Amino acid sequence: MNIQLKRTFSLIEIILGLCAMAFALYLDFTGSESSYRGILLVAGLILAVAGLFILPVKKHRAIVNILFLLPVLLTFFFTVLNPFIQGIFLSMTDWNGIKFTKFTGIENYITMFRSGDYIYSFLITFLFTILNMISVNITAFVLALLCTSKVRGKNFYRASFFLPNLIGGIVLGYVWQFIFNKVFTAAIAGSQSMLTDPNLALLAILIVSTWQYAGYIMMIYVTGLQGVPRDIMEASNVDGANWWVTLRKIKIPMIANTFTVCLFLTLVNSFKQFDLNFAITNGAPSRILQGKAILSTEFMALNIYKTAIAKNEYALGQTKAVVFFIVLAVVSLTQVSINKKKEVEL
Amino acid sequence: MKKRLLAVLLSAVLTAVSLTGCASSSTPSTAGSNSNNSSTTENDKTGSDSKGTGKAIRLVNGKIEIDNQLKAFAAAYKERTGQEVIIESLGGGADINGTLKGYLATNNMPDIFVFGGEGDYQTWKDYMADLSSEAWASQTDFGFKDSAGKTVGFPYAVEGYGITYNADILKKAGVDPKSLINYDAYKAAFEKIDSMKEELGLTAVCSVAAEAGQMYWSTANHIFGYYLSAGLKRDDKTYIDMLKEGKVDEQRLGQFADFTKMLFSYSDQNVLISGTYDDQLALWAQGKAAFITQGNWIDPSLPSYNATFDCGIAPLAFTKEDMPGILADCPSWWAVYNDGKNIDACKAFLNDLATSAEGQKALVKDCGMISPYKTCKEIPETPLAVSLKSYIDAGNTYAWQWAKMPEGIASNATGVVFELYAKGDIDKDGFVKMLGQAIADYVKK
Repeated sequence: MNIQLKRTFSLIEIILGLCAMAFALYLDFTGSESSYRGILLVAGLILAVAGLFILPVKKHRAIVNILFLLPVLLTFFFTVLNPFIQGIFLSMTDWNGIKFTKFTGIENYITMFRSGDYIYSFLITFLFTILNMISVNITAFVLALLCTSKVRGKNFYRASFFLPNLIGGIVLGYVWQFIFNKVFTAAIAGSQSMLTDPNLALLAILIVSTWQYAGYIMMIYVTGLQGVPRDIMEASNVDGANWWVTLRKIKIPMIANTFTVCLFLTLVNSFKQFDLNFAITNGAPSRILQGKAILSTEFMALNIYKTAIAKNEYALGQTKAVVFFIVLAVVSLTQVSINKKKEVEL
Repeated sequence: MKKRLLAVLLSAVLTAVSLTGCASSSTPSTAGSNSNNSSTTENDKTGSDSKGTGKAIRLVNGKIEIDNQLKAFAAAYKERTGQEVIIESLGGGADINGTLKGYLATNNMPDIFVFGGEGDYQTWKDYMADLSSEAWASQTDFGFKDSAGKTVGFPYAVEGYGITYNADILKKAGVDPKSLINYDAYKAAFEKIDSMKEELGLTAVCSVAAEAGQMYWSTANHIFGYYLSAGLKRDDKTYIDMLKEGKVDEQRLGQFADFTKMLFSYSDQNVLISGTYDDQLALWAQGKAAFITQGNWIDPSLPSYNATFDCGIAPLAFTKEDMPGILADCPSWWAVYNDGKNIDACKAFLNDLATSAEGQKALVKDCGMISPYKTCKEIPETPLAVSLKSYIDAGNTYAWQWAKMPEGIASNATGVVFELYAKGDIDKDGFVKMLGQAIADYVKK
């Protein structure tokens, strides 16, 4: 077969394939019920791929590589990129979950930053994230030290500290709601439930969140602590370092990368906190701020959920979700880059 | 060359295999999309099989409590007419609108679907078939009509609420429930029962829950609903229209605030500020409170508390003038999907449910609901349903105008004000002002 003929042939194949795919997509978008459109789409794709494959060019090898990546690339596109791009697009429309009638540009973004409830939940989420990062990591690290020390039954401790993490957040939330509302008020007679005071309610979520998540983070710290080389520890012992010095000068610097992972995980996890928030308080109790009544523990994820579901403003909810993503990405990337600098290379 | 041809074929097959998944998702898929509803039965499987034939019709029901009863009726209906009806019930906290939107997006819309009033109607109005010419439409006052007066919603139940009382306790205390039709009567009754709490075995006079996170629907929808429509004719929209403009009638709201304050102050304080629906119901159903601010939907729960006392519903009469009626309306309606394959079969099914003896029996006797149809001859048996029926028969009901409030206002804006009022953080003037402000802000957005 001479090259010229081959090129023509493969080009025809590619064009035919693309046409078939375009026609199949056209059928689908116009709502045709023809059951051949799926087959047509696949056949068109096969034709195009086959055409590309026999196309006689110098970059043949590169084309083959890409063709073999195609299944993964397409999956990535359809399941990750496509929804993401669509989400950003929908945030600029008046979408109600079914369809949109007009393109509104950045109007949703303006509305969002003007609404007091959003700003408030933004701030309260930040506050919660910082407090939760501190409390989860301190608790987890202390527990990890306990579980790597010479205490008896440390495997039992490890398992039991890890256990709360296996229970679903919603169930856990309702159980703890009962504990705060009934058990604590009964234990301290005459006291009101913690969940009726705005500040104490935040503390309540913090307690449950730490209780649930510290065990998981502890496991990572345990792995890190076990990875500290024994010879260094022995050397420090020989040099007469006590427990505190060993911890501060050897263990903590040696597991700095574990800290990075744990801080990153808790940061992302607390920022996205939804299930506990939803089940324990669902935004309540109320607080008076500048003469207006607001929900005091409505974190961002819950705020987004309520905007879309309760208010039926899907486009605005989508807008908030996009901003949520950007903030989360910026904060966590900054945090990782700062922590990376402190790590000790082994 | 042969090798190369083989490679071409192989890669073609690979891509084909990897793509069939995508391709089939563009054709109507049914099987996988039922993942997030709470009562999916084996019926759904038959649903996706038989959907293509256009024979079975599928109904999405929003009241999980009547799931079994509806399925039983559907089975009986199939025996009588040969028409298969698949009941799919959502509820128990499921996001019905979200699920339906998913169904629509995947081209898997049920033939009959539930919608909950004005807000939902605005969302779904392009997908509802006109049902005005159906036989049942002229037999009820409760059908959902669009702005042009066409009936688009099929009413299947009427619910009513007010201040539900324990008749046995009232009798022992010497209070006549029929007298409870104005503020002063309630004040006298509350004071009298409060003074006899010990001998009646009560922990509080009323069982009210006003926590903003879980109970906003009871306070900011139900109780507040009395401010919007109590004492008015069913089609009188004075106060709801004012609310939609972001305004409130301060004088009327003031009277309402006085009554609410009294209600709150005679309530069990723990249940009031931190109780859930279960706590509220338990307190009353165990005979530890004389009044509860709920409606006839608690009927089915009473047996689980072994509640044997007699009970009834009284109006939440917050005015000085007499207010003899209670708020009663349809909580939700069923609409027929106008792009469905089998609209006639859907219409026939709804007609049968509304007008046939079997259908009426299923709604009233089996589901324990009040039929919205004048032609219905079945008589309800549960105590609150009987009480509600007496109000409906006497024409002593007010509409649920609160269902026309902007969506999400109770959970996002007004519920918190009720909680603050219940906790005593604000006084009457503060309540009136703050509630007005919250409504104005919410409407403006």
